[in-house]
Amino acid sequence: MSEQTHDHSLFEAELSGSVLNLHLLGRIMRWLHPYRLSLLVSAFLILIASCSAVMMEVVISRVLVDYIIVGETSSLMPDLGMIELTQWVESQLAIPPIFAAGLIFLVLSILFAITGHAHRLTLVGAIVNSLRDLRQDLFAHMETRPSSFYDKVPVGRTMTRVTNDIEALYEMLRGMGSLIGEFVPFFVALTIMLSTSVELTLILLLLVPVVALASHLFRDATREVFRLVRNSVAALNQNLQENLSGMQVVQLSQRERHNLNVYTDINKENRRQEYRSINLSTVYGAFNDSLAAIGLGIIIWYGAGEVVQEEMSLGGVILFTRFMNMLFTPVVLLGEQLNVLFRAMASGERIFQALDWDEQIHEPENPIELPGRLAGKVEFRNVNFGYSKQIPILKNVSVKIEPGQKLAIVGATGSGKSTMIRLLGRFYDFERGMIFLDDIDLNDLRSADVRSRIGVVLQDFHIFSGTVLDNIALGDPSISEERAITAAKTVNAHGFISDLPLGYETPLVERGSNLSQGQRQLLAFARVLAADPEILVLDEATASIDTETEMLIQDGLHKLMVGRTSILIAHRLQTIQEADKILVLHHGEVKEFGNHEELLSQKGLYFRLHELQFQDLDIE
Amino acid sequence: MFDYTASGESLKSLLRLAPFLRQYRNQILAGFAAFFMARLFEVSSYYLVAMGVDVINLLYNHETERMTYSVGEITLAIIGCVLLRFVFVVFARRSIRRVGVALSFDLRQKLYASVQVQGSDFFSRIGVGDIMTRAIQDIMLIQKLVAFGMIFVVIMIYAPLFSVSAMLIKSPVLTLLIVPVLPVIFIYAYRMTEAMANSSREVQKRLSGLSAHTQENLSGIRTVQAQAQEVNEIKRFWKTNDEYAQAFYEQARINSLMTAWMPLFASISQITIIMYGGYLALNGEITVGDLVFFFACLNMLLQPIRMAGMFVTLVQRAAVATDRLFEIYDAEPEIVDNPSMQTPATIRGEFEFRDLSYTYPRADKAVLQNINLHVKAGESIAIVGRIGSGKSTLLKQFTRLLEVGEGKLFLDGYDVREYPLAQLRNQVAQILQDPFLFGEPLRNNISYDDLDRHLEVIWDSAEAAALRDTIEGFPAQMETIVGERGVTLSGGQKQRTALARGLIRNAPVLILDDCFSSVDTETEEHILNRLKRLRKDKTTILVSHRVSTLRHSDRIVVLEEGWIVEIGTHRELLRKQGTYAELEKVQTEGGSSTPGFDSADLIPAGV
Repeated sequence: MSEQTHDHSLFEAELSGSVLNLHLLGRIMRWLHPYRLSLLVSAFLILIASCSAVMMEVVISRVLVDYIIVGETSSLMPDLGMIELTQWVESQLAIPPIFAAGLIFLVLSILFAITGHAHRLTLVGAIVNSLRDLRQDLFAHMETRPSSFYDKVPVGRTMTRVTNDIEALYEMLRGMGSLIGEFVPFFVALTIMLSTSVELTLILLLLVPVVALASHLFRDATREVFRLVRNSVAALNQNLQENLSGMQVVQLSQRERHNLNVYTDINKENRRQEYRSINLSTVYGAFNDSLAAIGLGIIIWYGAGEVVQEEMSLGGVILFTRFMNMLFTPVVLLGEQLNVLFRAMASGERIFQALDWDEQIHEPENPIELPGRLAGKVEFRNVNFGYSKQIPILKNVSVKIEPGQKLAIVGATGSGKSTMIRLLGRFYDFERGMIFLDDIDLNDLRSADVRSRIGVVLQDFHIFSGTVLDNIALGDPSISEERAITAAKTVNAHGFISDLPLGYETPLVERGSNLSQGQRQLLAFARVLAADPEILVLDEATASIDTETEMLIQDGLHKLMVGRTSILIAHRLQTIQEADKILVLHHGEVKEFGNHEELLSQKGLYFRLHELQFQDLDIE
Repeated sequence: MFDYTASGESLKSLLRLAPFLRQYRNQILAGFAAFFMARLFEVSSYYLVAMGVDVINLLYNHETERMTYSVGEITLAIIGCVLLRFVFVVFARRSIRRVGVALSFDLRQKLYASVQVQGSDFFSRIGVGDIMTRAIQDIMLIQKLVAFGMIFVVIMIYAPLFSVSAMLIKSPVLTLLIVPVLPVIFIYAYRMTEAMANSSREVQKRLSGLSAHTQENLSGIRTVQAQAQEVNEIKRFWKTNDEYAQAFYEQARINSLMTAWMPLFASISQITIIMYGGYLALNGEITVGDLVFFFACLNMLLQPIRMAGMFVTLVQRAAVATDRLFEIYDAEPEIVDNPSMQTPATIRGEFEFRDLSYTYPRADKAVLQNINLHVKAGESIAIVGRIGSGKSTLLKQFTRLLEVGEGKLFLDGYDVREYPLAQLRNQVAQILQDPFLFGEPLRNNISYDDLDRHLEVIWDSAEAAALRDTIEGFPAQMETIVGERGVTLSGGQKQRTALARGLIRNAPVLILDDCFSSVDTETEEHILNRLKRLRKDKTTILVSHRVSTLRHSDRIVVLEEGWIVEIGTHRELLRKQGTYAELEKVQTEGGSSTPGFDSADLIPAGV
């Protein structure tokens, strides 16, 4: 047993995710680091883009209104050199000032478009690449976690981390990117405004906390409503799904009317919550829209006084009205982004928890090298094992399989059959002195070495995306195409493979199920035969297979077992009868051991299993 | 993912939503009117700002005598307009969005009621997952169209209406110089939306590819590790991972392009205002305030045009969604309940199949072939046969879960179709092969047909199904919730719960479809003995593959590829030395591998 035990429930737990976790951002930096040059360029470009956006407004207010129309140039108010520039263009090109202003405006808008686009591209590029790298590292890490991990943690959990949680980081980084895209212009505009009129700027800035407060209150109020909406939607879907799946029972029990009433109640609750959320969000949305307009009123009222006192020019007042949107948009956006940020924090925590998960199979420090060819003797010696310490699965199991022998293991679900073969495959850590391969303790061998000598055919044969040939050779360079085809021919797989549209080059997909259950089994046999391991482990399929294919499988299995020690979790009577020895497991104990006739005559457990046709049922 | 590109034909299907919307027409009209007012006040506030600018200009030039309103008055008016707009906007958006929610409520109700009358052919054609998608996604798309699409239409109409007419009053020439750029922006926005939709589809495709790859890999992790394929698999994942990243980048690029071009187009109009508007202002034909007003109106004008592409997509997708939804609404129930009103109120339980054949829709081969079987009232019949021999199909004829095929089925001398469906299914209690349990307390699962039964009765039937001890072992007893959100029962416990659900009805006819496969033989024996006593004079029909179960029945029917090949008592069939005798031999003596009856055939499907 490994010394450190892992509490897998942690992997399921909702992680805090509610606080701004700077440590987490620091860790993400590691993956952003290779793309720092892009990020730097991106930051520089957004500065230029923001400046051009601000200057375009200056052209309208200061150049067009003040300089050209009102004829006011003496003001101390800033124009970022735009008036001088206009005068210069006027004199250089000998055009009227109004054309010069138009020309400058055009150049600025082109500059704004180009730098803005380039900024977004460099930023997204850096984000996409760094998260791709993070996802790759995470996948590689999960790929090498041991079976003990995957026993406890459902595949869905791990999958969510590789997919959804990384997606949440995309959202977050992109959101932060667009925040930067709004806040840089915000500060540039703010600088100009402050140098135009400190007092008016400060008055307008007073509105910012109002926006922030409103957005905070709104989020508080909506959090609860949104939760209720989500719950009611989940209830709707669950009810519908359940009724669809059990529709025949519903119909046979005449429950249609009652169930419709139940559904109507859930549906009404959903509508009620949706209405509530509409009330909140329409008020909030309209409130945000209105703030800028209120700002306009303030500018007119205050600006008038300033202009009269000649503190500000008319263009200055217009400049303020033009900046109103730049002032409020980022604040509103910030409120929205906070939610995304918090969600992403939780995702980040989950990702790094997974990356930090260090559970692995214990490998020997000084492994014994296996000889080129094993005899194939397998021994289980007083094996006691449980996945958790409290619940023993195998109790004192001993069995010796001589080279070339066939052992069939039978027993009900949960009797420990699968555990035996999992231990043999070194998928779990266990103590020394329990399992031996050619009299060598399994704990003295590298897990990869053990697995290369044991050919496992599981019930749920896994197809790797690739061609038929790839699936037989499995990337092993020592397996030539001829050898793979010979293997397929031997186990009767050649027939159906030849019938495939592209023969051995036909691409296979796991979920596309373009192979039948029986064909998958034959392909699995070919895979094992091509690898030519000394020991065969087979978990026989229980699914029904048509008689013709069944005969091909039995025949293929015979050929596969030749010259190999075979351990079979058997369900087919024929397979069991032909085994040299049969081991009957019950609740982890060896109950009966012997050949078919011997065991039948005992009228014990084997007899009963036989009566039930060795189905994998849970006998109570 | 389903492809939501609509043809012109399917746009018509949106009209089918009209009857659903009719009852909300007052809310819709009120919403439209409120939007009108909101726009009016919005334009007014811009107008007032422009006035304010002019007043300030007058103040600056000390021409106070030309002022019609004071700055204070204008400011107050602006704030008044803003407040009024706020009120109208909230009211308008709220009205329209509520209609969207109310509509999806109605659509869901109709969907639920529609699927309840459907039979197995419907569910094999559309499938539970597909129906769920329609109920969730398609209804959401329609709701979106109503809630946001309508708001959009309003913006589309009012924004140009107000801004163009307001500008026309100020300066017709300048207005006409600005307007030509609008169609250009519209066309560009529309085409970009298409490109954006494509790239977003691509991202979705890659993302689901990525999920599928991850899922596939992790589900097969044992094989991957058993075959030492980790490194290969990690390499293979890189490709999928990188493809997704590329698609994501491409999408961002297209979106960014749109973000970059839009203001560039707008700036053409802005430059027009700067140059021509500036010229007019210099000549004193318009005021500085008017210039500011033009800029504000331009913004208002551009806003809906940017959204135009989005709207088109929304309409298309909602049209396809409507089509998909109405496919469910339009489906005719397979089983027609058309009672003749001549049939007796109580069923005795005598069935007669006369030359009955059944072929599933869209299948070529009949599953039941020329069945002739007379089940006497009070008789117990057992049916045995290999997978696909037609056992379950035969059982489903009794309760019309499948419509009676070619030929006749009589119940107590009347065509089974003459009985009211409710009576038939009430008095013929059928337990299906798949012991489906609902996420409800055990008592509701057992007394599923009648929630008001006395608790004692429920315990009695649990007892009869050998379930009492199990339930007494749960802390919450009969209130124990089962399923995903509650206690997970073993296969045998589920089967016995389903059995109790059937027994509780104490119906004249009881039909059991392989209900003991996960129950051990001793318990089964116990249940069957009890059943024999309880149902002495009542009809019982059961399917099983165990001789130990079959032998309890008065007669045994052996089905093979849809044909009845043997029929008789246990003893008669043994003497016959046929299929049944062979089965009996395999199961009691420990077998043979006689060709023609391979033991592999005995393993039932779905185990």
